[in-house]
Amino acid sequence: MTRPNTNKKTPPSRKANQARERANARRIVEQQRAAERRRKVTLWTTIGVVLVLVISGLVGYGVMAGQQKDTASKLTTPSVAVDNGTAFAVGTGPVTIDLYEDFMCPICHEFENASGATIKQLVAQNKVTVRYHPVAILDASSNGTQYSTRAAGAAAAAAEGGKFIAYHDILYANQPQEGSDGLTNAQLIDLGKQVGLTSASFADAVNNKTYDAWADKATETFSQRGYNGTPTVVVAGKQVTGAHGGLPGPTDLTNAVTKAAG
Amino acid sequence: MTDVDQLGVTMETGLKARTASVWPWISTVARLGLAAVFLVAGAAKIGDLAASGRAVNAYQLMPFEAAKAVGAMQPFLEIALGLLLLIGVAVRLSAGIAAVLLVIFIAGIASAWARGLQIDCGCFSKGGELGAGQVPTYGWEILRDIGFLVLAGILLWRPRTRFSVDGILMGTTT
Repeated sequence: MTRPNTNKKTPPSRKANQARERANARRIVEQQRAAERRRKVTLWTTIGVVLVLVISGLVGYGVMAGQQKDTASKLTTPSVAVDNGTAFAVGTGPVTIDLYEDFMCPICHEFENASGATIKQLVAQNKVTVRYHPVAILDASSNGTQYSTRAAGAAAAAAEGGKFIAYHDILYANQPQEGSDGLTNAQLIDLGKQVGLTSASFADAVNNKTYDAWADKATETFSQRGYNGTPTVVVAGKQVTGAHGGLPGPTDLTNAVTKAAG
Repeated sequence: MTDVDQLGVTMETGLKARTASVWPWISTVARLGLAAVFLVAGAAKIGDLAASGRAVNAYQLMPFEAAKAVGAMQPFLEIALGLLLLIGVAVRLSAGIAAVLLVIFIAGIASAWARGLQIDCGCFSKGGELGAGQVPTYGWEILRDIGFLVLAGILLWRPRTRFSVDGILMGTTT
């Protein structure tokens, strides 16, 4: 743009120079305008992006808070529940076993098969109080039917009917495959009948999801206590695992109980 | 003077075309890929916010109430960020935020690994603890997130992409 001015030599060249300068000037103005436009676009899109993200975060928080309020308003705690209303106690022995299980969880079934008899024996010997915590962490594994929550809610209804452990056992004996639709409400009610839960109140509780919000709360308590997986076995406040952090067996269980009993 | 004008424009685009004609396309693929990552990750979690909160809590990095809030906000943020990247608005900033999130995720997984926690990262699922016999796949999860970080890096470096709102607003030819 700052080329040596060879003016007054030939008029056509001068004219061409003037034209070029005008073109240059126009281009500079255009570039400045474009730069200004880019600055504006950058500013406003930045503001837009930040706003969208902040609002989406707030929406998420709001939805969660709304769901919590909904759960709280629907919460019906079974009168027989212990441990802040989150568990059902079996036995009256001095050592407490807390057992967190999901009725959809195959490893819980495995645990029940391996250690269920030992637990019943410990209860019969009046060595332990078992607090069963039905939790629902596998709702995503029943094709949207939320079997974990429904089963936990049905178990709460069974507890209210005085048949928790019998119902617990029959649910594991009839455990649906993880990832399947799970048992239907009708099937849950039918299993109840088989253990003597013949009243209409049990069937109503299953059909009306009376204790589903309670299952949510029990699951939240479970997470709040720092547990993530099922089954979680806690003896006298201490989590018990098998070798290499795996599933505890009957021996691990009795050892822990003996140790806790002192 | 029209000739001069056109000559200038042609020279400029010619030069750009030679040096950078491929980059907008590479960046576009990176942008859409990263958008898909965040959309899929958010969609996997948004249906069960309580589970998402539990997955965050499983990292044992913050109090339960905070984990619940983070777990609830995260899927919404991921989907919003995915949509912003999908339409290509403020790509450099969006990519920068994506990179920050990915670095946080990688740090979280690394810390779970270092502390010997037995958890599912909850990256594209609801997460939580692994069942007995399941082995955590932290190494693979971190590698995958580093891959996503590379996509964000490409966009930070070359944010100009095809089919983007940025392109339309800037009035550029891309």
